[in-house]
Amino acid sequence: MASAYIVHLLILIGIYLILSLSLNLSVGYSGVLNLGHIAFYGLGAYTSALLALAGAPFLLCLLAGGLVAMFSGFLLALPTDKIKGDYLALVTIGFSFIVYSLMLNLDDLTRGPLGLPGIPRPSILGFQFNDNFYFLILVIIIVLIVYLTIKRITDSPFGKLLEATRDDELAAKILGKDTFKAKAFSLAISAFFAGIAGSLYASYITFIDPSSFSLMQIIPIISIVIVGGLASLPGTVLATIILTLIPEALRFVGFPSSILGPMRQIIYALILLLILIYRPKGFWGKVELE
Amino acid sequence: MFYQILVNGLIAGAIYALVAAGFSLIYSTTKFVHFAHGGVIALSAYMLYFFYSLLGLNFWLAAGLAIISGIIIGVGIDSLIYHPLRRRRASPVIILIASVAVLLILESLNLIFFGADVKSINYLDIGSGWTIGPIIITSLQIFIVISSLILLVLVFLFMKYSKIGKAMRAVADNKSVAEIVGISAERIYAWSFALGSMIAGFAAVLIALEQNIEPTMGTALMIKGFTASIIGGVESVAGGVLGAFLLGLAENFGIWWLPSSYKDAIAFVILFAFLLFRPEGMLGVKKNNK
Repeated sequence: MASAYIVHLLILIGIYLILSLSLNLSVGYSGVLNLGHIAFYGLGAYTSALLALAGAPFLLCLLAGGLVAMFSGFLLALPTDKIKGDYLALVTIGFSFIVYSLMLNLDDLTRGPLGLPGIPRPSILGFQFNDNFYFLILVIIIVLIVYLTIKRITDSPFGKLLEATRDDELAAKILGKDTFKAKAFSLAISAFFAGIAGSLYASYITFIDPSSFSLMQIIPIISIVIVGGLASLPGTVLATIILTLIPEALRFVGFPSSILGPMRQIIYALILLLILIYRPKGFWGKVELE
Repeated sequence: MFYQILVNGLIAGAIYALVAAGFSLIYSTTKFVHFAHGGVIALSAYMLYFFYSLLGLNFWLAAGLAIISGIIIGVGIDSLIYHPLRRRRASPVIILIASVAVLLILESLNLIFFGADVKSINYLDIGSGWTIGPIIITSLQIFIVISSLILLVLVFLFMKYSKIGKAMRAVADNKSVAEIVGISAERIYAWSFALGSMIAGFAAVLIALEQNIEPTMGTALMIKGFTASIIGGVESVAGGVLGAFLLGLAENFGIWWLPSSYKDAIAFVILFAFLLFRPEGMLGVKKNNK
């Protein structure tokens, strides 16, 4: 029983890791203040779930979830050349709200608030991931791929261009760099991984509804990224593990489940506020959000 | 049909105007996005429910207490969260993220104390409608439109003629110069939050009469409110009100042709277009800053 619970927690940590690492790529490295990351997660989850329910193989669903999210990430990157700072943050908030509203209202496709039940568990080349332990191994493999890909991008000259864009976009432009392309690329990659995370979530829980992808779900993820530190991948990993586990303690205090959800949200929001006021660089970060 | 949609659009616009007016007022002096404004409205609406429906107080007394709670919450958020952030010179983006976290806390408190089910205030009879030619309008809707117009005129007069109002406009126009002539910017910020949150409390009472009270209503209202502000020009209260009526009309005429599930999408497309092509809004003046 206890080990099943730990496996479940580890899978959730893995999915959160993909989300927060990819958000750190866009927010931390390239400085695009994206508060609509949950929309990519949701688009990935819904795309993958709808395909899986139509009988498509898992790897195709996973890829399609990522690609749909990636395409929307690219679209969201289009105005980043003109809109900056808090205005851009508002656009991403609006984007997230509209994706949520479409999930809720396009009844014919998404069944609205009823959600999509009975999403099949992954199956690759005939191997069924019905057991959570095998699912965990699948998640670990994907987390490793995501981590190494993002690390590789951020260590490369292109990663330095991203950081230059964040620190001083004008200077990077003067040196002849295409900062718009850099931002669009990082946002698209970031969205792709968020879509993958959504696809994993849908096939793990086997049921999705719009409430998992509401705008406010960004708060835990952005807390993780800021607590861990912008542009710090090891920091993000540590912060993901710690922040996912903290609210689990509530479960053992014995609150009813209707209170547990909001309490969890309050804890994340308070952590975010405290870190913004007292330690804006996070614990392992090098730069401050501007 | 045309006239009915016109009337519906104006009623929606009156509600958005109340949201946008308080939001724009706070933005104009403080220059940051107080996204939790929607949360102040939602919590004030719940306070009305608490005083009127649960405690059984007289409606007008309960409405007064709800508005006072709104003021206390708004000023409290400013002094507990935004003030420390300003003191360490946090960028507007940081304060925006903090305000989203505050909104989440307010929504979670609604959930914990009042539950997830919708509440309604049955003070005025919604059923009794008047038929004027082809239009059906309820007395409640007339009450909402007239009282919001009266409030907005009062706010306008206060801003124009009162000493505090003049000082607020001075800080909005040029904070440094205002401080040189002896106006305390921090005091004016507190006044802005008090006045803006009073409008929020007033909006909460009117909205609670017309619609159901839900824990997450703050986010939805805020999205519409800031869209309206951006359309009209985020630094001017008059612009926000104009934008609100245009948004109400655009949404209601939009769903004449489109399925009603696209209502929120219409608002987002307008928001996006304005941010991209006219970020200063309709009444805004183009300033030479980024």
